[in-house]
Amino acid sequence: MLVDFELVKRAREGDHAAFTELVHAYRKRILGTIARLIGRPEDVEDVAQEVLLRLYFSLDQLRTEEVFEPWLYRLTVNAAYDYLRRQRRRGEARMADLSEQQVVLADAAAGSRVDQEEQRRRQLRETVQALLANVSEQDRILLVLKEIEGLSLKELEKIYRVNENALKVRLFRARQRVLKALAAAQAATARSRAG
Amino acid sequence: MEGTEKSQPAGQIEEELSRLFAAYREACPDPEPDPSFMPRLWQRIEAERSWGRELRRLTEVLVAAAAALSLFMGISLSRREAPVSFYTNTYIEVLAANYAPDAPLDAEALAAEQEYNR
Repeated sequence: MLVDFELVKRAREGDHAAFTELVHAYRKRILGTIARLIGRPEDVEDVAQEVLLRLYFSLDQLRTEEVFEPWLYRLTVNAAYDYLRRQRRRGEARMADLSEQQVVLADAAAGSRVDQEEQRRRQLRETVQALLANVSEQDRILLVLKEIEGLSLKELEKIYRVNENALKVRLFRARQRVLKALAAAQAATARSRAG
Repeated sequence: MEGTEKSQPAGQIEEELSRLFAAYREACPDPEPDPSFMPRLWQRIEAERSWGRELRRLTEVLVAAAAALSLFMGISLSRREAPVSFYTNTYIEVLAANYAPDAPLDAEALAAEQEYNR
């Protein structure tokens, strides 16, 4: 826990200062988790605000202060899931973004001062996002929480309120699908190099 | 493609994926929130709360109006005079009265019968 239970209790009772303190303590972590879940830096703050808005209006439903963190993770997961679903529905929006990225890359190639490290990071983000696009939104979130955020199965069990074995099976299947996509991508790269 | 996929040992791809995930974690560090993050959040909270208050006020007005209407209808219905009843007997009672054995026969039928007997 990043804060003590007393602060959560005060925020739950409607203390605005306590809520602000709670947000200050968790916002960076929330932003980071969302950034890795959705993979689109430009929308991270909006989704994080949605999480904190939901937190504010649902804090009184929190049973005990001890379950605050899994609760917050659940709100984060739900907001990221809603976002990813909306994004999938808006297929055309991605196409627009793609052209925007292409413009950025073209600018970089033309010799503008785009940081090489940032470019490498962006490429890496895009690769992982493309791999994760091979599984459903739910599985993608689960996989990111386990493999990238480093949450334990016990923690995931608390967040999802699902039996550990069911989570293991789901994670295994999702990872297999991503592995298959990675193998296919590597094969395609090898082919294009050979050709 | 198949051949290339098979030539890559499964363990190697597993390692590659884990390496990719770790690199992705590093490529996406926890971002610093924008300075306007908290003011924007409180603005959104306030907007939601005022909308909620508005909705509650509207609900209260509607409930009050419904209660007043119910009261008015209740009073007007209780004050209304009982409807004039033309029929005090039930249908069965009327039938029974018409076909009672001691009921006087229709005068015209009686006259017709007398005519026939003659």
